[in-house]
Amino acid sequence: MKLKGKLMGTAVGVLLAAAPAFAQEVQLFHDKGFWSEQLQTVGDAAREATGVTITETPYANAEQYKAFVQASIASGETPDMFTWWTGATFAELVSSGQIAPLDDLWAEMIANGGYGEASKELFMVDGQAYAVPLLLARWVVLYNKPLYAELGLEEPKTWDELMSNADAIVAAGETPFLATVHEGWRGFIWFQELLLRMHPEAYNGLNDGSVAYDGPEVRAVFEAWSDMYAKGYFSDPRSTEEFNDYVRGAGAMYLIGEWAAGLVVEAGVPADDLGVFIMPNAVEGAPAAVIVEGSPLVVSVDGAQDETVMAALRFWVSDEGANAWGEATGNYIGNNSAEAPNAIVAEVNADIAETGAAAYLRWWEAVPPDLQGELVAEMNRFMLDPTMETADEVMATMQSLNAAYWADQ
Amino acid sequence: MDRAAKDKALLDRIGIDQIARNARARRRGQLGLGLVFMAPALIMVVGVLLAPVLFNIWLSFTKWRKFTGFGEYAGFANYERLPSNPFFNEALINTAIWVGASVVFPIALGLGMAMFFRNLRGAETFKNIIFIPRILAPTAVGVLWFYVYAPDGLLNRGLGLVSGRDVDIGWLYNDATVTPAIIATFVWQTAGLVMVLLLLGLAAIPKDPIEAAHIDGASRWQIFRYITLPLLMPTLLMVTILSVLAGFTVFDLLWVMGANYPGQRSLALAVFMYFEAFQKGSWAFGSAVAVIIGLVVLCVTWFQTVLQARVDRMTR
Repeated sequence: MKLKGKLMGTAVGVLLAAAPAFAQEVQLFHDKGFWSEQLQTVGDAAREATGVTITETPYANAEQYKAFVQASIASGETPDMFTWWTGATFAELVSSGQIAPLDDLWAEMIANGGYGEASKELFMVDGQAYAVPLLLARWVVLYNKPLYAELGLEEPKTWDELMSNADAIVAAGETPFLATVHEGWRGFIWFQELLLRMHPEAYNGLNDGSVAYDGPEVRAVFEAWSDMYAKGYFSDPRSTEEFNDYVRGAGAMYLIGEWAAGLVVEAGVPADDLGVFIMPNAVEGAPAAVIVEGSPLVVSVDGAQDETVMAALRFWVSDEGANAWGEATGNYIGNNSAEAPNAIVAEVNADIAETGAAAYLRWWEAVPPDLQGELVAEMNRFMLDPTMETADEVMATMQSLNAAYWADQ
Repeated sequence: MDRAAKDKALLDRIGIDQIARNARARRRGQLGLGLVFMAPALIMVVGVLLAPVLFNIWLSFTKWRKFTGFGEYAGFANYERLPSNPFFNEALINTAIWVGASVVFPIALGLGMAMFFRNLRGAETFKNIIFIPRILAPTAVGVLWFYVYAPDGLLNRGLGLVSGRDVDIGWLYNDATVTPAIIATFVWQTAGLVMVLLLLGLAAIPKDPIEAAHIDGASRWQIFRYITLPLLMPTLLMVTILSVLAGFTVFDLLWVMGANYPGQRSLALAVFMYFEAFQKGSWAFGSAVAVIIGLVVLCVTWFQTVLQARVDRMTR
């Protein structure tokens, strides 16, 4: 009897001890399996700091993840906390009515001094903020410092300097820029950058239907792009190993989100050998600008009523949370009172502070989601055969898809 | 006492009602037991096969797109949209090419190999080697051949060695070469199975008519054309059904090997369906494409089953 009593007492004790632990857990759904371990590191840091554990739940790829979230919302079972994409896709998510506005939290974040209004704007729909940043990545040019030094090159401040550097690199028998169509989504990278640098006034118009994909601005982009290919500025677009290509020196400059800096270092480039600059404008007098990719972290309407979920979210945006995330991945979330996760981010922060560069949403997020895949496939098609003949076909197809989409709206 | 009354009395004496009741109870018991034994298979068939198919058909008549329209009836709207979609039409043509190629090439090659190895001594090792690709997962085969076709891959290097100059063909990046290249991989993977099935069919052909034809002075071609081929027809038809189904539902190879090809979504109907549903969130529209694929496969299979029955009657 005594033993039975002891056992029962132990069981009750264990249950009582475990109950708060179960109650203090928040699941974070995401499609970034490559950061699973790092997300869990932040989740564990949250437990130590707040008693709330963030448990990451990854999905293998973006399509499966979208399917899960869309089906969950359509059937009224919205996950409490999950990641999404900014831009038009984000507006669609918000229009489901299942996502909680986070203006109060943003007011706290801005009042504390870490975050700026510009970051908040990336997550706003119809005047309200619906997410906090999981990631804020500026699209920059990573470059090979030793090669620059060997050829006596300086970081370019103007478009002409950039082109002149590229010519010098070609003359030295190297390839200036790394660019591939690998995984099918990369085609827009140079397209968006060339458009922003050559015709900034057309950049946003392209994504609201007011600028045509076969208009003079886009034509100028394809002409410049084709010309750059003809001069041997780009690496083989068919390569499937972009990060390793950079390590192998297949391209001296790499136009990519700053999140890639960590991956390139991980692939074998010494961190000190990696330089960074924001692509200069091609037109004189154009305002300083930088393309920004934002990854939102949202909570459902029900989740926002749960103090545990909000505690987890508050930890995420805190200095401690940003530091844990930055240390684990090298990612920046726009919190300037936290430590810069690496030298690249610190340099970009300093550059933006100096130039006051305006943030432009990345084309991938800004374009209507229904057009995203089909248009980028056309840009990839051009990269595989970068002649003006192909460019003409590509522009015509893109505009036909674009016009059909906007006619339906 | 009339005959009927006598019979009834006799049946009452032997307790026929009780016997019938017992038999019914036994049958019920057996049926129950049968159902218990069948339950795992029934649950699997209904839960994993039938229910998802019915659910998919229902979805195709809804407006479900991304976060909205789940359960809202759309009538035939999704089906009406199909013909005006340029990617659908392109995918349909490519699927037809796939079906044609997946029937013609594996069967021609498999039949050739089966005839060659049929009476060859010590051919077991070669047969096993030829069959090996079949036991590999299609995704693994896709990855393997992706690197064979890569610009600096085995194929270009081989061609370079033969031609004595650098060959830099992007087999999987080019409109003209991507489909033939993936079909070649498909044939490489499936020809072994076709060969094995046809070898079994050939082994079942009686030797008497062939020997009689030999004695009558028939040539090898005449024996093949007028004796072997007709008797092999049931097996050939079965292989054709399998090949048609494989051609219609091919996805893995196209997904893996066509990953960097800009026109990937139009490579076949199954890929188009995946893009519409999973990438664009047009769940109802994607379901309609799936229903179309299912219907076409059903029709083709039914037609071939009818044909098979006829051939069976003719060869009996």
